[in-house]
Amino acid sequence: MKLKCIGCEVLARPIYHSAALSPHVVDVELLPRGLHNQPADLRARLQAIVDASGELGYDAILLAYGLCGQATSGLIAPTVPVVIPRAHDCITLFLGSRQRYNEQFEGFPGTYWYTQDYVERYAGSGASLSLGSGTQAELQGVYEEYVSKYGQDNADYLMEVMGAWQKHYRRAVYIELGLGDGSATEAQAKDEAARRGWAFERLAGDLVLIRRLLIGDWQEDYLVLPPGHRVVMSYDEAVIACKSPSQTDLVQNMDTINHAYQ
Amino acid sequence: MNSITQEIYDGIVNGQSPVVGQKVQEALDSGMSPVVILNEGMIAAMAEVGKRFECGEYFVPEMLIAARAMQTGLALLKPHLQQSDLQSKGKVVIGTVKGDLHDIGKNLVGMMLEGAGFEIVDLGTDVSPEKFVTAAREHHGALVAMSALLTTTMPNMKTTIEALNAAGLRGQVKVLVGGAPVTENYARQISADGYAPDASRAVALAKSLV
Repeated sequence: MKLKCIGCEVLARPIYHSAALSPHVVDVELLPRGLHNQPADLRARLQAIVDASGELGYDAILLAYGLCGQATSGLIAPTVPVVIPRAHDCITLFLGSRQRYNEQFEGFPGTYWYTQDYVERYAGSGASLSLGSGTQAELQGVYEEYVSKYGQDNADYLMEVMGAWQKHYRRAVYIELGLGDGSATEAQAKDEAARRGWAFERLAGDLVLIRRLLIGDWQEDYLVLPPGHRVVMSYDEAVIACKSPSQTDLVQNMDTINHAYQ
Repeated sequence: MNSITQEIYDGIVNGQSPVVGQKVQEALDSGMSPVVILNEGMIAAMAEVGKRFECGEYFVPEMLIAARAMQTGLALLKPHLQQSDLQSKGKVVIGTVKGDLHDIGKNLVGMMLEGAGFEIVDLGTDVSPEKFVTAAREHHGALVAMSALLTTTMPNMKTTIEALNAAGLRGQVKVLVGGAPVTENYARQISADGYAPDASRAVALAKSLV
């Protein structure tokens, strides 16, 4: 097959690695991590690339993305199928399964995650501060921007409010993916954990979901969206579902069906 | 609007907390009616801040510093207001749903609602359905406002509505939902009474539901 993989740059190494090992011809296009903060913009970018790629003779388009704050919800497959892993976000793709993600999320909701590509590809935008970006230098940059715009008194207040999420977090986890040298990222995670009073943990990643996406093994853990169909959030373990252009909301239908059997 | 209420208004719109504090004190000392200060200087200013946010002129930091300036003024004003002056628009029980620790959006909605004259009962983050039920029972007739930032925690909005149902309270409370991944469609699906895409529109929605 000839495949096009559109992915978030936080998955750069895993995508390139799996593309290199795939039996198929895979073209890769990465998008900036910062788009995560604006799901509507990310969706528009993805749709534009998906549409353009649909004209280029690929057998399928692969999205190395999760639901990502509903960014992929609403995407429509062009004249070729679009394949998306059933995942809420990239943490599932780093950990290898929804089950493992759920265990981590339910056991330790206040976790900040570190992976090599994620940390390396920080673009210096203060917009992600509230979502939990990192280093002291980055925070200093945001602070200075606030001082110049709103004055020092307000800047102090904003840093306190926007940084309040840190008080709710308890753990920093570095995910070792076994690709490239992640020691600097691990050191940063340890350092920030110490500075913020969080526990530090190192977990082994599992890139099986990315690998299977790129080799074309799309059973169970992937949504294969037929041409013209649209991604919708399914609000259940399947994470996403597909909706045909003529269909009423599949999720509501499923609810009705489930209800009828109860 | 006279010059001092204009200064209070401008101080809030521009997020100048110390200026607002000083001007509210001056206004009180000059014998100005606290109700006039509140309505003309403060509530009107927060409405303007909301408008600027909706049209993309203001972003979250501007909203936060404006809300902070408003709260500074309100703290000075409150001891001078009679209970009848306050004319509470209603009470809102607000919280981020279970499993979700994000509170910037929720806090901003709370502050904007307070600025519009609502009384806020803030349950914090990671609020279980049981806690929402207890608060809804305790604060009879209050609106219940839920926030979620994650698609993983959004389903807890549905769980909470089901818990309100099970407790026999659903008919007595209106439920508002919001947060980055939440949509109008989802709100309808879980039978919430309203959805707002941002803090400013949450105020309009809350007003329409009381």
